[in-house]
Order: sequence, then structure tokens, then C-alpha cells
Amino acid sequence: MDDLFRPEGDWSRLPDVAVLAHRISSLVSNIVAWAVITGAAWLFTNPEPRPTLVAAAAGVAWTAWRVIRAGRWVRSFRYTEREHDLLISHGLWVRKLIAVPYGRMLSVEVTTGPVSRLWGLASVHLVTASSESNAEIPSLPAEDAAVLRDRLIATGEAQALPL
Amino acid sequence: MPPDDAPAVAGDAVASPAPEKRTERPHPLTPLIRGWVVLLAIGVGLGRELLGNLTEDRPLPPITFLIVGFVLVAVAAVVIGFVSWLTTRFVIDADELRIESGILLRRSQRVAFDKVASIDVLQPLAARIFGLAELEIDIGSSARTKLRYLTRSRAYALRDYLLSRAHGHRAEIGEVTTELIELSDLQEPDQVLLRLSPQRIVTGALTSNEFVVLLLTILLTIAAVAAGVAWLPPEATGGRRTGFLGISVAVLALAVSGVSGIVGFVARRITGQFNFTLSRRPSGLRISRGLTSLTSQSVPPRRIQAVELSQSVLWRRLGWFRVEIDVLGQHLHNENDTRASTSSVLLPVAGLDEVRAVLAQLWPGVDFTTIALRPAPFRARWLHPVTGPFLGFGHDDAIVVSRHGWLQRRWQLVPHARVQSVRVSQGPVSRLLGLADLHFDSAGSRLKVRAMGLDAGHVRERQAELIELAQAHRPDLTLDGVGAVPRPVDEGPATTGDDDPSL
Repeated sequence: MDDLFRPEGDWSRLPDVAVLAHRISSLVSNIVAWAVITGAAWLFTNPEPRPTLVAAAAGVAWTAWRVIRAGRWVRSFRYTEREHDLLISHGLWVRKLIAVPYGRMLSVEVTTGPVSRLWGLASVHLVTASSESNAEIPSLPAEDAAVLRDRLIATGEAQALPL
Repeated sequence: MPPDDAPAVAGDAVASPAPEKRTERPHPLTPLIRGWVVLLAIGVGLGRELLGNLTEDRPLPPITFLIVGFVLVAVAAVVIGFVSWLTTRFVIDADELRIESGILLRRSQRVAFDKVASIDVLQPLAARIFGLAELEIDIGSSARTKLRYLTRSRAYALRDYLLSRAHGHRAEIGEVTTELIELSDLQEPDQVLLRLSPQRIVTGALTSNEFVVLLLTILLTIAAVAAGVAWLPPEATGGRRTGFLGISVAVLALAVSGVSGIVGFVARRITGQFNFTLSRRPSGLRISRGLTSLTSQSVPPRRIQAVELSQSVLWRRLGWFRVEIDVLGQHLHNENDTRASTSSVLLPVAGLDEVRAVLAQLWPGVDFTTIALRPAPFRARWLHPVTGPFLGFGHDDAIVVSRHGWLQRRWQLVPHARVQSVRVSQGPVSRLLGLADLHFDSAGSRLKVRAMGLDAGHVRERQAELIELAQAHRPDLTLDGVGAVPRPVDEGPATTGDDDPSL
């Protein structure tokens, strides 16, 4: 892929089950959203069938697109722990490369939701003082997530400058 | 409700005989000042209702009914205000800062002295008439603790006491003996850095982009309406062509409201920024401003995350800048910097030398004007056709500077010590052009510092370099992490525990 977002190094990727998990959660959320939209269209344009059909068709197309993209997005996701910072790279249209120095890490959260729990997945979130950093690694196997969390905290503590 | 004279909890380290806790109440006029707004609102609401009834020829409700209702509501408002005043007590002494309030839900809030980030003294007009002031304590959380209303001198005395306690000094609650100047509340140790003259405020308002936009909107509306009236189809006016008179009436009506809008805009700027004074005290910087309401806001330099200079089109000629700050934990908004409340504006209108002098107070040893800014590559103009020539980005070993904007030019400054993470992002068009953007995430909530249209070939080096610099600076409050000049502002006994834990 692009060199800019794939600097050489030892990049980790998300496990293959994450593709399935993201596809399913994307499928569920899109179906719910489009069911509401289609229902509303039917409610307001009752005798006329066309708007409802258009909404339903758009919903099916969009959902299919999102489901395909969800898989590609997961495959585009990489992260690497370097000496002083954690790099996270993801994105299809708008690509992003986030660098968080370990010294700025306030805490590390491991969270899991009902869908990802089915596959034993959990996400690791690096909390900094900024709400914009948004450094999250979604869908790691739960044990790996816990190990990564402990490793990040240990590195962070070792590298924290004495206050 | 706890007893008023609750004995001191677990005496302080010094084993002096535990003194009786003296709790205080706000000033007895508080319920009246807080209540008059309610009464006014009720009066206006009733009046409007009655007028509506009159014009629609509906029968008026019996006048006794109205009066009784009004009196009942008024009495209820006063009683509620009085009870709330009665149940509000506070203690500010050597040991604690505690505020108890609430009628049904009792609330007792105790604040650790060293967590007090800044304190503002606000004097809305109604309170100011009676010589009262409101104390607003910012502890970095979203809800600000308020004490209202105290006598002006008491409010200032408590403010000074709490600020010196927040800096780790032992202090006594002194009487504010210095004669408080009624117009600007400056005190003895203050060193005035900048005071804006009314002419500067008016000129600044008249040459700001907001004013130009307002003026253009009004003129365009008038022109559009005049044209519309002139070319009205005859059917709409009953077969007659609209004459000169009709047009001038329509234009006049609009012009009147336009002029009142302009006058209101300028008047708001003047009342809000009147006598704008930025001064330096041992505990930090302080802004005081206002004509009818007087606001005195303390600026904690250590909590400032980022600074933005901006310049309207006309200010480019005048060489003026407006400086806004992003302070950790304070959700400041500029609201045209007029309300009697804290604002994000550090300098509403100032020349470059003044800006540099003030920034040197915040960040000693840092001068953004000496940093060479790299312009964006020429191909960036495909993506940023208008702003392209102005884009620029650079850094030294203390701060990052990013320049962008078109009608409103902006210079965004963020110190490495405040950078939490650095992001590269690249959209599809940028990818075609070989460009990328850099985002600097800080703990502030207002200013999003970003550098746009950078050469994608070098952006990763920049990111690595900047991350290294961020890592090298302790995320603490002063900028002297790497060989900068020590802050001259703080004096008094060494404050070892002066690191802000919230960072």
C-alpha cells in the first residue's frame, strides 16, 4: 500500500475474526438504521409505493457497501509499538497515522461489547489528556488486549519523565 | 442540615486549640438581586399577554386576579430566594474551602486549595449597583463553583487569599485595603501590561470581519428589497406601479433596523471591552473589562494549551491581532466577548509588539515571530486555492506554529509540552497531489491546531521529529523543560508541589 502510512517496521494487524465481527456489527447497525428510514418513508407516503421501495433499495445497497468496506477497513488497520511511541494507521479514503508518545499516556482501557464478545474480542483504548487523540485498537483477542494493556502501561511508566 | 458551628474536623497538623469554625453567608441582598430578574421576566410576560388581549379585543381578566397572581409569584420568588440564601453557607479559612447550599437537596462541596485553577470576580450590573460581586472558582471540572453575592472588597480579599493558597503559599485573608478603583479594580501589586483605549476598541470593532459582514448583509438586503419592490408585478399592488415613495418607505424601514443592529454591535463591544486591562500579578495574569458589568478574570498561564492569533482583512493594514487562548478544563467561548463572564479572548485587539510582550509573559523565552515558516508546496493550491499562498508551518524547540486562513488569517501556536499526540491524515485528493495534513492534539477543547498541505514525502519525518520534541518536554506547566528561561512570574517560597496533577 502507501509508503506514507506503512513505514517500515514490525506492524501488527487485527486478527481475521475481527473482519467477521466488524462486518456483522456494521450489518446490524445499518439494517436497524435503514429499517427506521424505510418505515418512516412508508408511513409518510403510504399509498404511493415508490419512495418506500427507493429507500429500501438504497438501504440494501448502502448496507452491502458498508459491510464490504468494514472488512477492508479492518484489513487496513495496523499498529506498531516503537521505542518511544505507539503508531496506529488506518483508513481507506482518509488515511490516518496517529503517533502517541508513551509519556503522554494517562491510562489504557480495555473494553468489549456484546457483538465482539461472541468472538472473544476486546478493544484497547489509549487515553491521553486530549479528547482528539482517539488512539484505539479495536478487536484484539481479549488475552492479547490485556497483555498489550499491561505492556503499554509498563512502558509508559518506565518512560514517564520524573515529575 | 448540619449545625452551623460544626467543630473543625480533625485539627490541622499544628496543634493549636481548634478554633470555632466561622461560617459565612452571602450578602443579605443576594435574594433581591437574584430575584429581580425573575420579577422582571414575569412583568414583561404579563404585559405582553395583556397587550395581546387588548389588540385582539378579548375581555381582560379581572384586574384583582392579575394583581393577586403577580404578588403571589413575587412573594414566592422572594421566599425561595431568601430560603436559598439562608441555607447557603461557606467556610474559607486556613484549613478548608467548603460551600454548603441547597434547600431540599443539601450539598456540601469541599475544594482542595491546590486544585483551584483560577478565580474570577464578576460584577453584573444589578450586583454592581449595590457594590456586590460574584466569586467564580474554576477547579478544572466543567461545573464552576459560584459564590454569590459578596461585598466587593470581601470577594477580592477571598480571591487573593485563594489564589495564593493555590500557589502553595500560606497566607492570611487580608482586608483589601487598597482603594479599589471603581472602574477597573486594579490593585497595588498589579503591573499593567496593556490597556485598551476606547478609540482602539471602537476602531477594532469597526474594522473587524464581523462588522464588515454585518454591513454587507444589511446593504445587500436593502438593495434586494428595493429591487424587489421596484419590479413588483402590478397585480401584487392592485394595478398601480409602486412609486418612488413605496421604495423609499421599504428602504427606510430596513435601514432603521440595520442601523440599530450596527449600533447594537458596536455598543456591545464597547460595554463588554471597556477599559480592557491586562495586568500581571505575582499569581499570574489578569484581565479586567466592562462598562456596565465588570469582569475580572485570572488567566492561569500553566493551563493554557494553545494560543491562536487572528487577523481580519482590515486589520492586516493596521497590523492588529486578536489573541484567543484555550485553557484546560474551561469551556470558554468568545460570544463576542461581551457577557459578564469569562471569555477565551486574551487580547481583543493589539499590535504585534504588544502580542509578543504578552506571549513572552505566558511563555518566557518563546518568540513565534523568529520561527521560520515553510510555505506549502505550490501544488497545494489545487486543494487550497485561496489559502494556499498563506499556508505555513514551522517549529522551534519550544512551540509549533501553523498559519492558515483567508479572510480571517490565523496563527496557531502550541507548545511541544502540551502536545498529546500527533496525527497525519490524508484524504483522496491529497493523496493524488502527494500532500498530507498534520494535527496536533492538545488537552484543550476549542482550538484544533493543524497544519495543512504539507509535502507527503517529508511529513513522516516531521511527525517523528515533533513526537520526539513532545516526548522530551515534560507534560508539565512551565515551558522550561528544555533549557528555556525560568519563569520570572512566580515568586515567594519555593513551590515544590506546583506541578498541576491534571496534566
